[in-house]
Amino acid sequence: MTPFDLVEPHSFEETIGLIEPDDPDVRVIAGGTALMLMMKAGVFRPRRLISMRKFASSLSGITATSSGELRIGAMTPLSALEHSPHVSRHAPVIVRTMRRLSNVRVRNVATIGGALAHADPHMDLPPVLIALGASVCVVGGAGERTIPVEDLLTGYYETALAKNELIAEVRIPAPAAARSAYCKVTTGSADDWPALGIAVTLAAGGATVKSARIAVSAATTKATRLTEAETALVGSTADDGTLKDVADIAAEEADILADGRGSASYKRELLRVYVVRAVRAAMQASGAP
Amino acid sequence: MAATTAPDGRAGHQVGRSLHRLEAREKVSGRAEYTHLMQLPGMLHAKIFRSTVAHGRIKSIDVSGAREVPGVYAVYTSEDVLKVIPDPYYGPAFHDQPILAVGKVHYIGEPVAVVLAADPHVAEHATQQIVAEYHELPAVFDEVEAAQNKTLVHEELRPAGTFADLKHLKGRRGTNIALDFRLRRGDVDKAFAAAAQVFEHTFRTQKVLHLALEPYASIADFRDDGVTIYSAAQGPSFVRTEIARLLRWPENRVRIKVPYLGGGYGGKLYIKMEALATAMSMLAHRPVKVALTMEEQFYTITKHPATLRIKSGIDKDGRIIARKCEVWWNGGAYADIGPRVTQKSGFTASGPYDIDNVAIDSYALYTNLTPAGALRGFGIPQLVWAYESHTDMIARALKRDPLEFRKQNLLRNGRPQATGTILKDAAIEKVLDRIADRLNWKQPVDHGTGTVRRGRGLAVALKAVISPTTSVAIVNISGDGSTTLYCGTVDMGQGSDTAMAQIVGEVLDMPAESVRIVPRDTDVTPYDMGTLGSRSLFHMGHAVRLAAEEARSKVAALRRELGEPDGSNAPLAELFLKKYGMQAGNIVGTGTYKPDYIPPDASGLTTNATPFWMVAGSGVEIEVDTETGHVRVTRLINVADVGKPINPKIVETQLSGASLMQLGFSMFEKMHIDGGQITNASLADYKIPGMHDVPRVMENETVDAIQENGPFGAKGVGELATFGVSPAIANAIDDAVGVRLTELPLTPEAVFRALRAKANKPLGRE
Repeated sequence: MTPFDLVEPHSFEETIGLIEPDDPDVRVIAGGTALMLMMKAGVFRPRRLISMRKFASSLSGITATSSGELRIGAMTPLSALEHSPHVSRHAPVIVRTMRRLSNVRVRNVATIGGALAHADPHMDLPPVLIALGASVCVVGGAGERTIPVEDLLTGYYETALAKNELIAEVRIPAPAAARSAYCKVTTGSADDWPALGIAVTLAAGGATVKSARIAVSAATTKATRLTEAETALVGSTADDGTLKDVADIAAEEADILADGRGSASYKRELLRVYVVRAVRAAMQASGAP
Repeated sequence: MAATTAPDGRAGHQVGRSLHRLEAREKVSGRAEYTHLMQLPGMLHAKIFRSTVAHGRIKSIDVSGAREVPGVYAVYTSEDVLKVIPDPYYGPAFHDQPILAVGKVHYIGEPVAVVLAADPHVAEHATQQIVAEYHELPAVFDEVEAAQNKTLVHEELRPAGTFADLKHLKGRRGTNIALDFRLRRGDVDKAFAAAAQVFEHTFRTQKVLHLALEPYASIADFRDDGVTIYSAAQGPSFVRTEIARLLRWPENRVRIKVPYLGGGYGGKLYIKMEALATAMSMLAHRPVKVALTMEEQFYTITKHPATLRIKSGIDKDGRIIARKCEVWWNGGAYADIGPRVTQKSGFTASGPYDIDNVAIDSYALYTNLTPAGALRGFGIPQLVWAYESHTDMIARALKRDPLEFRKQNLLRNGRPQATGTILKDAAIEKVLDRIADRLNWKQPVDHGTGTVRRGRGLAVALKAVISPTTSVAIVNISGDGSTTLYCGTVDMGQGSDTAMAQIVGEVLDMPAESVRIVPRDTDVTPYDMGTLGSRSLFHMGHAVRLAAEEARSKVAALRRELGEPDGSNAPLAELFLKKYGMQAGNIVGTGTYKPDYIPPDASGLTTNATPFWMVAGSGVEIEVDTETGHVRVTRLINVADVGKPINPKIVETQLSGASLMQLGFSMFEKMHIDGGQITNASLADYKIPGMHDVPRVMENETVDAIQENGPFGAKGVGELATFGVSPAIANAIDDAVGVRLTELPLTPEAVFRALRAKANKPLGRE
């Protein structure tokens, strides 16, 4: 790691003012768990880091609206989500996801905004948030705007954020009797990055699936919705025949890449299996974290 | 645990106590000293510029950019090193490894130049300003391909001369073979011809590494009259000898100080950063620290990948009458201890079986990869992977119970092992029986239904300890009766200090906790061959016992001299007081131990291959997810013959630690290599087992045994539980789902592909 400047502004506005859009060696740092790895590996050598630490408390916190929408400040550490009664009530899948998301040291420091802005396709939270229909409230040069998480992530470590835009808040809509599941599939150690992540949120009326959101990650360049698989599932009772079709469609639809954690053909088979397991898990989800 | 003595002044037995490790408090409270954290006044940090090509002639190295970086003290290449060390090649078996690349580079990651600066960040930044140009040469990465000698790694072999059996290789050209060990017993060809059935299988193991939590680190402080090296080293005596040789100095001008090690596992043997730190300190006239990052460990030393071909002839009664083993060891660019791995593991390549006709050919090969050396087992885990998979495959093909087939062919005490050495004090059958008992082997397995299938497997192994090797120890009783032990065994986490203190305490009848162990320092602690190959408890244990016994005799003589009545147990302090009139004087006992050994003849045979046999095995119960290929080890049993344990608790933790390390090597650890480039050289992409990978049930057990010639009946344990883990799991996978994997690691994808191939629906390769 080489020496760099660290500036610690006291407000969001000040932070945005300090960003130098034309210099990739100047970056905003939130929790820093991902950036520090890149810096130690020499992949990223900053000239200046702009830390949001000094005003993190004003951007942290989890509230639930009367309708059940969750509003999570961008600087909220992941462990706060893990232990939040609001999250436990309205999005228990997030609490379940946290148990295998990295380790407690990382969860205590990493933030939800940072996890999204970093756009590493191996992260666990983005597919879960996509499946939950979450969006981010973004503040920056052009004022304020709201972007669905599925549109925020545009590629491998790439987002729709302008260089002088920052995520201020994450919003997760009211669950409307939805049931969710996330499956993290590792092919190395239990705490390895996933070879495949798959998140599912369903709304069911009786035995019938009324709506479905399915997102795949880790095996793809970015966390991605599988809309054709969703369509195949909606209106069915998630019976074995339908699930086989959903698996085939998902495997066809997803653009799977090979890496050290598995060949593309193997990960496609994993997707086939785990999209079914995730749908079944969601159908059976009790709402308990 | 408080040091206690009975009212009569006797401490009682110290051997057999499950004493907590003596240094545990120091370590968990952060007070223990490690080289990686040490600072010396005026010290410079060295950062290494490494080769980006696998094999090439160095055309130019431009260091001007690095020299211009503010804060850089100096930048050095081999040109500079040659000025202070004219023959800068080191290694335990071959003098083949240069301090910095001279003329050629032989693997990606090889040190080419070094930047020195007071600030390590400045030095690291400056290394990126260095530009090297290479004329690339053809490279060879695969061990079997290397054996064809079409692409050569080195022009000429440079054996060190310390090993008699390598002398014939001196000056040899046109070969990548750094050692060819050959064993011929009986007449295999005749036996194969007579066999009712012949089985042949080929196995492979992958490249993995030690990954000690404390990366390699050395600090050299060179002065005109001597050099002091602080180092995370498993073998300080070897380091001293080798640095003295490089400097052409007598050994007494070289001092090696070794604090605690943050893990070693065989990686920190021989020369690692010591020679580079010394050369840099000579050039800079300042103390220089070379402390690697976690990532740089991937470019330092690894385990040997191997290809193993094994063929067995079985007679009509199911007896193995012939076995032929061919092993190719991928040693990487420099030999390190590879030739020793090749030879010593070659002794037992045919396994713990009683086979009259054996042929073993074991080849150490140079390739253009990170060098390979010793890693917790000295090649044995690779061999056991092959022969215990092979044995199981034969049993299944013969429709024999794998346990019964093994027992029918097992080598028993009193019978000659493949080398011709008679097996003694090797509880192979007891170990195997205990594993089978714990697995409830006689009862059929519930293989499960649906997508989760269950299976079980076992494996048992035999190892000859590295021989002959020497250990020396000194026990010093001070005027107040307090006792200090000087021994060169390095405690790198295995608990050797505690065990040695227990031996001193046993002999001198004092609590082990009261014995002080002097930190390793070659100016103070006497010679020891090295902390390796599970040899320390036996060899150093004997030396410590002998030293303590000599001290005890001297105490007895002093009692007689002072007219103490027979059977007197007057405290030691009183004896000294009586003798010297004040608290003064010392009683010093020394002990040297070197077991007998007869080197193998041209056929690889000897009647004394080893002072003791190491025996261990593992049994597992597993679940296979047939839809994904995921294998879960639900129960892991490790059983070993360690003779009589000196410290049962430490033995248990050594067994569990070794088996978990091997579990990682079995299930997922692998250095991915593309054209000689390691593509996952970081802990983000190279994963070792974590808490969630520990099997739900783990059982570690030692069988009731005594090593007759061991110190208090004991022998070593450090490596034992690495032996059986990999084949036990592969055998269990076969038991569960009927597919056989012959290559490590046993990844979910490998299992899945095998399942699909078996179902005649092979999975595409893309």
